[in-house]
Amino acid sequence: MIRTEGLTKQYGRITAVDGIDLEVREGDVYGFLGANGSGKTTTVRMLLGLVLATSGSIEVLGRPMPASGRDVLPQIGSMVEGPAAYPQLSGRTNLALVDASGPGGGRRTRAGRIEDALARVGLDGVDKRPVRAYSLGMRQRLGLAAALLRTPRLLVLDEPTNGLDPQGIREIRRLLLDLNAAGTTVFLSSHLLAEIEQMCTRVGVLDRGRLVLQDELAHLQRPTGRMVVRTPDVAGVLGLFDGQVEGQDGDRLWIRVDDPATLNARLVGAGIRVAELAPEKRTLEEIVLEAAETSGDRR
Amino acid sequence: MTRTGRWAAVALGVLLVVGVPVAIRAIPPSDPDVGAGELLAAVAGSEDHPWSGYVETEGALDLPVEDNFSDVGSLFGESTRMRAWWRGDDDWRVDRLLVAGETDLVHHSGLTIEWSYEGDRARLSRDPDIRLPRTADLVPPVLAERLLRDVDAGDVVRIDARRVAGVDAPGLRLEPTAPQASVDHVDLWADPETGVPLRIEVYAAGEPSPSFTTEFRDFSAATPATAATDFPAAPGIQVDHDDVLDIADAANQYAPLRPPDRVGGLAKSSTSDGAVGVYGVGLTQLIAIPMRDREADPLREQLGQTPGVRHLASGTAVSAGPLGVLLTGEDGDGGWLLAGTVTEDTLVEAAGDLARGTTYLQDDS
Amino acid sequence: MIAVELRKLVLSRRTWVTILLIDALPTLVGILLAVTDLGPRPGTGPAFLSAVLTDGTLFPLAALAIVLPLFLPIAVAVTAGDAIAGEAQQGTLRYLLIRPVGRTRLLVAKLVSVMVFVVLTVLVVAATAYVVGVLLLGSEDATTGATSVSGSSLSTQELAGRTMLALAYAMLCMLGVAAIALFLSTVVTTPLAAALGTMGVLVTSTVLLTLDAADVLQPYLPTRYWLSFVDLFRDPILWRDVERGVLLQGVYVVVFLGAAWANFATKDITD
Repeated sequence: MIRTEGLTKQYGRITAVDGIDLEVREGDVYGFLGANGSGKTTTVRMLLGLVLATSGSIEVLGRPMPASGRDVLPQIGSMVEGPAAYPQLSGRTNLALVDASGPGGGRRTRAGRIEDALARVGLDGVDKRPVRAYSLGMRQRLGLAAALLRTPRLLVLDEPTNGLDPQGIREIRRLLLDLNAAGTTVFLSSHLLAEIEQMCTRVGVLDRGRLVLQDELAHLQRPTGRMVVRTPDVAGVLGLFDGQVEGQDGDRLWIRVDDPATLNARLVGAGIRVAELAPEKRTLEEIVLEAAETSGDRR
Repeated sequence: MTRTGRWAAVALGVLLVVGVPVAIRAIPPSDPDVGAGELLAAVAGSEDHPWSGYVETEGALDLPVEDNFSDVGSLFGESTRMRAWWRGDDDWRVDRLLVAGETDLVHHSGLTIEWSYEGDRARLSRDPDIRLPRTADLVPPVLAERLLRDVDAGDVVRIDARRVAGVDAPGLRLEPTAPQASVDHVDLWADPETGVPLRIEVYAAGEPSPSFTTEFRDFSAATPATAATDFPAAPGIQVDHDDVLDIADAANQYAPLRPPDRVGGLAKSSTSDGAVGVYGVGLTQLIAIPMRDREADPLREQLGQTPGVRHLASGTAVSAGPLGVLLTGEDGDGGWLLAGTVTEDTLVEAAGDLARGTTYLQDDS
Repeated sequence: MIAVELRKLVLSRRTWVTILLIDALPTLVGILLAVTDLGPRPGTGPAFLSAVLTDGTLFPLAALAIVLPLFLPIAVAVTAGDAIAGEAQQGTLRYLLIRPVGRTRLLVAKLVSVMVFVVLTVLVVAATAYVVGVLLLGSEDATTGATSVSGSSLSTQELAGRTMLALAYAMLCMLGVAAIALFLSTVVTTPLAAALGTMGVLVTSTVLLTLDAADVLQPYLPTRYWLSFVDLFRDPILWRDVERGVLLQGVYVVVFLGAAWANFATKDITD
């Protein structure tokens, strides 16, 4: 759905985005992670043709961007750096203007499309008050509604749950997952690790303009082949698994084993008291920090 | 198209829009092979030629502004836009164009109507023998006629042609020979077809730029339609009759005196047979207007505030470019107003001649 | 897209407040003239104002002369300066562009919208002024018609035709202002800066027009021929300055729209 090669953007002598190769596949919920200022937004803007790349190529929906923007963009719903609307107009009027300003969709079916989109984001009950009077959450939902208006094949969303309460965040997550299940590819840019971890199937990590990691989340979080054992009998374990213990932190030990069941049986057999026994699983945070450190070292 | 390409296209557009007119203007005018005498004859012969066009004058003469002479000050000190239709000396119309109105002179059969849009009035007057300068005197053909009177081929030389109102006009330079003259030289360019003067520049001695310029910006040598020189007054416009046109006319008609026949070495013109004396001819001319105290005092005050004013024994003197002005007498006195394109010495000498030679008429009543 | 821009224009409260404000000044002048019967001294004050006292049907022209030098250009500069920079500041520009709306099309639509605003304003001012003029100042006998600047009479049809020409000319002058403001609007980040920049250009032009030393520049200054619509009421019509004015405004429109296009077509939209 999205493929970039050597995508680079320089503002004067500052390199905001440095040769990144993104790959988003059809059906992905792609999490695009990065700290503020890491070049996330610039990348998203380049994907949408708002900012022109200094070098490198972009393909979205199999077509070059921004050259094919006229054909590609109508199939994309997006929210870039927060929602925006004409403050003096109502949410419905805003959506009507958005709908009317581009190609596709007749005037007759417009009202229906707008009501659909509003219903999806939970704004169907909204009255005629101007957007000026909306809460941050309502604006966020309105922005999402605008993105969903054209039933897009690809959603490019920048911090979509910004300003929402926990209830709202859950609703939006559900909505995005539903859309994804129905075949929409979702490209989600965020600095919230938890959000990405909970929703995404694929992750790309941007650090100071470089893509330092891009992989399936499941693959990144696959078991590492080590077990974590917490025990008051540390010495006993060390004796038993000499050479296999790869790390120790107080009463916590990391042991490389092929089969967890055998490990368990041997511990029990040796009469060692075990408080906790689990396969080691890295959090996304650890993965991201590690990737960033590695890339920082390389530099 | 790349960003650079687009900006290049815009720059090219600007260059074309600005450059083409500049380039066209830069093409040197063709200079017809015509001698000074021949050209002078052509200009002199064009006096009755009809024309019409748009004229701009530019005066750099800093004259005092006084109610009785306000038009004169602005005519010689500012730029004036006019359009004019000239069927003949006795059938013409000259409109002075103002930003939000106009002042028109329409002349027929010795009568002139002055229409002022802003004043919403029309004044009809006969053309007096003596009067102050007005717009119609400053269009190039009329001014040339005055300047070139009594000039012969020996007094002029050819200068480079110049493009005026789209016409490649050959030029003439005229240098006055009279010792009284304050004008250094006059440059004149004329239509090579008809001889009608298109542009005139008047230079004072030692000045690099002209003190006064008048030129056509649009010019046609075709005879204007009769309707063009009409004044079809709209209903509701009242035409007043004026017995007296201006202060010179009034003085000429009513002042009970006659100036001498010769002042400052200049002979009195045949047109002057009243109280106002016009002396000299062509480039070297001087007018002497007798003024009563109530007219002379405010003018004297204005002259006194003019930069470069000099208080001489014979009166208050001001000079602006080639134009010299001298008002004789002291505060509370009447006096002679002398003005002309003559040197200050000539003005002083003339003032002395006037004081000695003026005859006073007996009051008949 | 043009329809959308027009809808935005009509839906914007600012549009109507601006028109109301612009309309208020000549109306006030008309009422004051009618109450006091004191015209400006000949040669002072806006064009046609002294003639209005005798003929109220000339008041639309006087109203035009009142609003054209200052009020109308300010309104146009603000409206056109808001075109791109305002959308950018609101954040709606990026959503328009990814909708997608072609950038050149957006510029054209914005310009059309500004022009509709100008036409609307000029027509409202002229219509109000006509009503105020006829009701409060009275009209001359319909059979005699009005007086031209040259003192001849103009039939009612001639007056109406020339008034229409004058209105069209004023609109064209404002199109030049709109083009400058639109260009600046694609350059700066705030609508205020674009409006102020445009006003700066106009004020500079007006100041230079009064300066003899700037003689060579004067034929090229944007405000040089603005008041030449008066020439349409001379008899015969003096086309010279009107022609130059039309040409000059045309050049300004082409050059600045070209510059706006050159700048905006591949500009990085980062706000």
